[in-house]
Amino acid sequence: MIGAAIALVVLATLLIGARGVAAIRTTPDFLVASRRISPTLNAAAVSGEYLSAASFLGVAGLVLKDGVGALWYGVGFTAGYIAMLALVAAPMRRTGALTVPDFAEARLGSAGLRKLSAVAVLVIATLYLVPQFKAAGLVLTVVSGTPYWVGVVVAGAAVSVTLALGGMRAATYVQAFQFGLKLLLFIVPAIWLVLQVSPDTRREALAPVEFTRFDHPTPVVFRLAVELTITEPTPVTISGQPPRLLQPGHYTAATGTTWTFAEGAAVPGVDGALPPGGERWSRPLLDPDAAGYPLLATLSVLVATVLGTMGLPHIIVRFHTSADGRGARRTAAITVALLSAFYLFPVVYGLLGAVLLPELFLSAGTDTVVVALPARVDTGWAGSLFTAMLTAGAFAAFLATSLGLLLALSGAVSHDLLPGATVRRLRLTTLGAAVFVVALALPSPHLDVGVLVTSAFAVAASTFCPLLVLGIWWSRLTARGAAAGMVVGLVASAGVIGAGFFLAPMPGLAAILLGQPALWSVPLAFVTMVLVSLRGSPPAWANAAMLRLHLDETERSRQRP
Amino acid sequence: MIRQRRVTVTSPQTHLAMARRRTGVRADLPHLAPADLERARRIHREQLRRALVAVALLAVLIIGLPALLSAFPWLDKVRIVGVPVSWLAVAALPYPVLALLARWQLRRAEQVERHRGAP
Repeated sequence: MIGAAIALVVLATLLIGARGVAAIRTTPDFLVASRRISPTLNAAAVSGEYLSAASFLGVAGLVLKDGVGALWYGVGFTAGYIAMLALVAAPMRRTGALTVPDFAEARLGSAGLRKLSAVAVLVIATLYLVPQFKAAGLVLTVVSGTPYWVGVVVAGAAVSVTLALGGMRAATYVQAFQFGLKLLLFIVPAIWLVLQVSPDTRREALAPVEFTRFDHPTPVVFRLAVELTITEPTPVTISGQPPRLLQPGHYTAATGTTWTFAEGAAVPGVDGALPPGGERWSRPLLDPDAAGYPLLATLSVLVATVLGTMGLPHIIVRFHTSADGRGARRTAAITVALLSAFYLFPVVYGLLGAVLLPELFLSAGTDTVVVALPARVDTGWAGSLFTAMLTAGAFAAFLATSLGLLLALSGAVSHDLLPGATVRRLRLTTLGAAVFVVALALPSPHLDVGVLVTSAFAVAASTFCPLLVLGIWWSRLTARGAAAGMVVGLVASAGVIGAGFFLAPMPGLAAILLGQPALWSVPLAFVTMVLVSLRGSPPAWANAAMLRLHLDETERSRQRP
Repeated sequence: MIRQRRVTVTSPQTHLAMARRRTGVRADLPHLAPADLERARRIHREQLRRALVAVALLAVLIIGLPALLSAFPWLDKVRIVGVPVSWLAVAALPYPVLALLARWQLRRAEQVERHRGAP
């Protein structure tokens, strides 16, 4: 049933894509055809491309793992489009630039800056893609019981096949359909879950109790090795062996084992994870790893997501299908409303998960809570049906975002970084990029989908946000200043996040400043750009290059018919 | 007989890839007619002002709300229909506010264009 549901998603997507392609053929030029698309349809397409596996699975998973404060992710993801609407959408559309590297060259006339922007695209897209593949692999693992690597490879194969069949992403209709599909597949199961669970569960979801004892014999499947801390003698059955009484101490649950905890047993502790339902878990602020600075951590995530949205390589290209600057602005405004509808629902999965599946936090499997819930609530056909719906939705989310990002990534490699592009090379680069991302996703099953995606936002916020905002609103920006600011922003965000993977976890404040650098790396990049620009002088045409981005189209065409 | 120019039909990405043959040198330097330039200056100034107000309001919301929840932990204990107020403040409240803010800013930005940049 689940395989059928996923196949159905892919098939429906391809069919609609084919229709879109047929419609395109009747017009002289795809870009002219696409300019008839209304802001509402285009906003649905933007939302369709934007809602990734990180939103579909990750936010609810983070609620289960880090607490109610994780809901700020959804707020940040939505609020980003207000910054986009106010600062970027219309002028960006008027440049005619499809990507940030394009914009850099159009506004500042520097080929070097284009290459630098392409490097930033590369970093952002990779940071964004790896968690998508991880999530897709994990979901396939959970619903089919295969090892993690099989899931990732199957996800990679699905993307490659869709790419080879071609054109899927080209049409706005496909992405708009994907948005409708994802919204339906997310909201309907959520409503069913709320109605299906007992009134007691509903009450408990709103007034959670800390998960300290197993209230029924609970099997916990460890798909990854996890360090457990046991604080009192705990009866456990490990993978069908005779029951044992574990004495207090540190234990390692090996990969692939199932530990069945007896009823009434104490819940072991896990490093870096919070048992759901506790006082700290219930606070509506983010405090990962108990660093002790919840307000700072929350603001850091918000700054990254709000300012990073405008630099996402797969989203900017979508705004180009608007008729003009005004259409792009309307698209951004409607997108805020559409995303708001979606992000009202992750909380349902997170809170119900904390009551019904709190043991997921033990096995580092919180990202699977969305697809695991229906089976926990109903073991009959209805449970399977809703599991299939949610799996299909998660897969749709994965496909939509991954394809957009893969194309952005291979576009940056094959025509910004290397000279002389051909369609053949673009296609090969795309396949190569898919293989590269699969290779990166294979060893990273431990990484949090939501956290890694936020890193991508942080890099976008520290590089493209200052470039776009200053490029659009400040005529004194020079190519040299922009380059210096981007390098500083890239090193401060990507460098610090990258170093975090290799260094030991830091305590307290350092953990937040290094794990979520946006709070200081974005201002640093802005200041660098401004100071370096002020030391030089922009070319004579810079003022006109900036000002024409603010003239609305009808005005100009009247001047020069 | 009028012959239509043949155009390659491609996806935006492919189109983009194929269009990128040019190297660094700009074909035409951007310029504006003097009348356009003056109007563009007015629009730019007015749009910047309005955009900054919108961004400031957004900042008040997304910085103010977490700060409020951090300063008043007792909001966790106050419940409306069984739901803690502080949870509503993060799970539900921001979305209608964001949607209204988007609508408001859209109206204001379009107003500038309708009035031809006159104050």
